[in-house]
Amino acid sequence: MIQAKGLSKRYGDLVAVENIDFSIAKGEVVGFLGPNGAGKTTTMRMLTGFLPPTDGTAVIAGHDIFGDPIAARRAIGYLPESPPLYPEMAVGSFLAYVARIKDVPRAKRRAAVDRALERTALTEVKRQVIGTLSRGFRQRVGLAQAIVHNPPVLILDEPTAGLDPLQIREIRALIAELTAPSQGDTQHTVILSTHILAEVDAICRRVILINRGRKAVDAPLSELTRGGRTLDEIFTEHTAHDAADPAALPSKPIGDAESRSAP
Amino acid sequence: MKHVASVAGRELRSLFVSPVAYGVLSLFAVLAGMFFIIDMSWFEQVLFQAQQYPDQLGQFNLNDGLLREFYGSMSVVLLFLIPGITMGVYAAEKTNGTEELLLTSPLTIWDIVLGKFAAGAIFITMLVGIVGLFASVLFLYGDPEVGKTTSGLIGLLLTGWTYVAIGGLASAITRSQIVAFLITLVILVTLLLLPGIAEFGLAGSASGVAETLRYLSVQLHFDPLLRGLVDTADLAYFVVIIGSFLVMTKAAVESVRWR
Repeated sequence: MIQAKGLSKRYGDLVAVENIDFSIAKGEVVGFLGPNGAGKTTTMRMLTGFLPPTDGTAVIAGHDIFGDPIAARRAIGYLPESPPLYPEMAVGSFLAYVARIKDVPRAKRRAAVDRALERTALTEVKRQVIGTLSRGFRQRVGLAQAIVHNPPVLILDEPTAGLDPLQIREIRALIAELTAPSQGDTQHTVILSTHILAEVDAICRRVILINRGRKAVDAPLSELTRGGRTLDEIFTEHTAHDAADPAALPSKPIGDAESRSAP
Repeated sequence: MKHVASVAGRELRSLFVSPVAYGVLSLFAVLAGMFFIIDMSWFEQVLFQAQQYPDQLGQFNLNDGLLREFYGSMSVVLLFLIPGITMGVYAAEKTNGTEELLLTSPLTIWDIVLGKFAAGAIFITMLVGIVGLFASVLFLYGDPEVGKTTSGLIGLLLTGWTYVAIGGLASAITRSQIVAFLITLVILVTLLLLPGIAEFGLAGSASGVAETLRYLSVQLHFDPLLRGLVDTADLAYFVVIIGSFLVMTKAAVESVRWR
């Protein structure tokens, strides 16, 4: 469903992402891990067509992002790091607008919006102005705009940021539902980046770890944690700056890592 | 290009759910009323003085004596209002993060640029409609020429659309609405002053430069329309200026992808 072929992004001499390859099959839920500034957001932006890769390409649901960018973008639901919202619009009309620009036919728009509202538990704030919503609600509106056109591929950049534990559980349940084999033809494929390793444990079946713009790990979760190793250990091992002696580094929680915004 | 209307529709909707659009409309209506009364009383005075020379009375008419002044004043009002209307058109998309939504949706850059321009142009058309309402009052009490009255309105409309295209570019090259406002204002004021610069500043220098500067000014092409002269060359000027600013805006929006 998603193929990255040698994706690279360079800004002059600065290498943000270097030669990343992966292939993700339909229905897979892949956790995108890595320290801040590792290139997760840049990779996601290249897949969604926001940034063109310096080298390499990607194929989304059979459409090359260079060959047929419009079709590739139509196949993607994307939740960026900060949810893209118009604060002055009401939730319902915002989602109707997104459905429209995502090419949902007029006759199906209302149903698409209602379903997205229902899935993200936003139905009761449908008429509310986005600017008046709390952080958690806004994050859910962000998720709703990503799924409103029922895209086969979902790319979610930290989908649970700013949510409370109950909402996190709901979002995880939603992702599980969207990717369940029982969905048949509408089964979604998901890439999500996160800082919360427990989240990967809970919903992802496969892990891609990126460090300093390169792919460090790409394996099914079950394989990685075989032999009782925890994700935390694996993460520390692969992202330690001094690979020879990872134990020498303080294993601080990733969420505290110094934030460096993606270019 | 099928999404031009989608983008324009959202843009207008956002304008009208906030008080900004209503504020601008009311302010514009008040200013239009003010200038209309000022220009009318001035015209009255001129007519009164002209009574002494009855043979010359035929020179004075509503179009040249009143509407031309009125339209001219309203074009200056537009010059100061439009930067405020257009400053957020792209800059706000960047601060909202919705730029990422637009550029990852199955839209072309032209959908975005033309949609946003269309929304601005429609709003300006409403403002010019207010001016037209005042002008039409004259038909109740006098007999201005329909042709001249209309051509002046068309000139005002084209001037406003040109300002919208310029404001759009300014908004597309910055994240800050204030900066976009200032850039637009500087360009528009410069355009307004170009004939003056050409006449005084460059007097004596190579005449080609002065002539070119003069030709670039909006005023030079608005004026014939005010006088009732619809020349293809003047219309072409507006089309070319609007077109080139839209092309530059498209490049500016797209430039996110080059970085």
